[in-house]
Amino acid sequence: MSDSVWQRAIPVYEDRSVKKTFIFFTILAIAGTILAVLRMASPLGRYSAMNDFYAWGVWKTFNVMTLTAIGSGGLAVGVAAWAFDRQKLHVVMRTALVTSFLFYTTGMLALMVDVGRPWNLWHILLPWHWNMHSALLEVAVCMPTYAFLFLAFENVPLVLERYSYLGSDATRARIAGLEPVIRKIYPVMIAFAYLLPIMHQSSLGALMLLAGPKVHPLWQTQALPLLYVMAAGIAGFAFVIGTLLVCCLRYSRPLSTDVLGELGSLMSWLTFAWLAFRFVDIAVRGKFGLLLALDKYTAYFVLENILLLVPAIMLRSKQLRETPRILFMAAVSAGVGACLYRLVPALIAFIPARKANYFPSVAELTMTLGFIAAAIVGFKLAIRYFAVLPGPIADWQFAFKPATPKQPKS
Amino acid sequence: MSGLSRRDVLKLAGLGGAALALPASLASASGGGPSVVPPHAVSMLYDATVCTGCKACMSACNATNHLEPDTGLSDGLHQMPADLNSRTMNIIKLYNDPAGSWSFVKRQCMHCLEPACVAGCPFKALEKDRDLGVVTWDGAKCIGCRYCEISCPYQIPKFEWDKFNPRIVKCQFCYEQRLKDGKHPGCTGACPTGAVIYGTRENLLADARRRIAGYPGKYYKDRVYGETEGGGTQVFYLSRVPFSRLGLPSLSDESNPHYATKVSSKIYGWLAGPAIVFALLFGSINRNWKHHEANRRDHEAEGHLPEQL
Repeated sequence: MSDSVWQRAIPVYEDRSVKKTFIFFTILAIAGTILAVLRMASPLGRYSAMNDFYAWGVWKTFNVMTLTAIGSGGLAVGVAAWAFDRQKLHVVMRTALVTSFLFYTTGMLALMVDVGRPWNLWHILLPWHWNMHSALLEVAVCMPTYAFLFLAFENVPLVLERYSYLGSDATRARIAGLEPVIRKIYPVMIAFAYLLPIMHQSSLGALMLLAGPKVHPLWQTQALPLLYVMAAGIAGFAFVIGTLLVCCLRYSRPLSTDVLGELGSLMSWLTFAWLAFRFVDIAVRGKFGLLLALDKYTAYFVLENILLLVPAIMLRSKQLRETPRILFMAAVSAGVGACLYRLVPALIAFIPARKANYFPSVAELTMTLGFIAAAIVGFKLAIRYFAVLPGPIADWQFAFKPATPKQPKS
Repeated sequence: MSGLSRRDVLKLAGLGGAALALPASLASASGGGPSVVPPHAVSMLYDATVCTGCKACMSACNATNHLEPDTGLSDGLHQMPADLNSRTMNIIKLYNDPAGSWSFVKRQCMHCLEPACVAGCPFKALEKDRDLGVVTWDGAKCIGCRYCEISCPYQIPKFEWDKFNPRIVKCQFCYEQRLKDGKHPGCTGACPTGAVIYGTRENLLADARRRIAGYPGKYYKDRVYGETEGGGTQVFYLSRVPFSRLGLPSLSDESNPHYATKVSSKIYGWLAGPAIVFALLFGSINRNWKHHEANRRDHEAEGHLPEQL
């Protein structure tokens, strides 16, 4: 349907050897999982450095509040493709959806590990037990609903596709029967799939509102929910761009500078809008004077904005955003900037009423990194078994062929 | 092309933003009214100028609440916690500066009129009693998320980091143990000098004001801490040294929950905000989808590969 070099999502079949990096990530993921099980069977203090002053450590502030921003590619690209009809983006939707699903899943895994009394989580099933005023309740209900209902639904077609090629005749018939149903409900489902993350990504920002004066005034603002959800959009675009560039180079696929440029351009405009909201908000609240303190908060504030502003300006040039190396650096910068903005008010600019320190323990960090590694391993497997990464239509001929019998060893 | 993208991104930002930003400006126009005081609000008045630091209230608190004394700083000899912790709901601390000014201070839950811990608690494990105004914790509902510790401006709730069945530990005004049966809480009953007394909020506030009026200039700024701080509390402090020296934060009159829900209560009222965003999204998606499906059918009829969702 498109004239771009990317015409279709195609499984990775070129390279099926197991590489050292894959083994490394697998080991890290397993280590994280083992520690997670141990942690669930132990008091919370044994495996984390959290304390009564920094009661939320990296699991909540980084794995959940920060990394689900990276997992917002499904929201950002989806809204652009379907609500704003950027048709050329359809070809990268699957990359966005799979990364989103994996990062949301690992985020929720981190949330499970973080909760101190998980046996009481069943209250979530009974709406009359909910505290409707709590932003955390909104997150707790909305985030799993999104990930395991709407986002999972968006990922169903790519799973069905594989079995419509490789399954038995009966499977094929069943999948053919399902397809009209999926197409019938698709518009409603994706509308919910964009509404819900807009709600919980903004609620993640609203969490810090209740901490009031404990969050440094440069970050403590009524605009936190809005800035949080927009930062999720920026990080989502950035991560999809980065993933596409890394994977296409890794598996020697041609790059569609057209599609990548479009993603870069949208990310850049969103970043400008974010910066405008942020600076108007600080000006209205009259807090710019706090930057003269020249303390670590000034440094983080300047860093966040520079990491976002520089790529936003650079990507306004068509030539620059269609240069893969520049685009990659811009995406990394914007992604890190957006993630930093999500982390800082929750952890770094969070100042308890009493002097206290928190630095994650080795076990805590291993779990944090292990969950990310699990997402990477999951992605590696997903792009191999399913048509996720975009490529030229000529490559489709190799896709979903029944496995050839192994060569007998001579 | 870039002109189109600009408009689109502004729309994109507007979609999430309109619902959030518009009520924000409306909300800031309407100020926060005074907090509602429960009909039979119970209260504690601590007059730091009367306290002798005997710590009888501390052992009474631990005894009433069946808490093992924290003997950490005294080599196991007697109760001596460094601060409020998961074994200490009530503590007497000494502020002593080299210039010679000093004061004791008693710290425990303030039982806020608009408690941030209750506002944030997802499954209502922390609740404020409608009649007495006491803030209590229910272990059958708590998931151990520790949002109460994040949101409490006084840094009061503590978590049992070293327990398999961890509880949130904080003063509950001895509600279960004593208040329910009409008795005074453990600490006020044990105080030999009357430095901390128990009564209704109304009476104790009047009492505190009488003391200030009786001795002008004796008390810091002639003020009762807790009357308006963070929307008002049910524990009052009188002190001759600045409240900040006693570790009491200087807070605005607006409670954290009021600040935090100003905008969201408008957006989520009758779920109007989400409904508007959904209507906008669905309207646009449905239009584009129909167009997309028509193209797809044509495309597949021409014998191309099936379209990928």
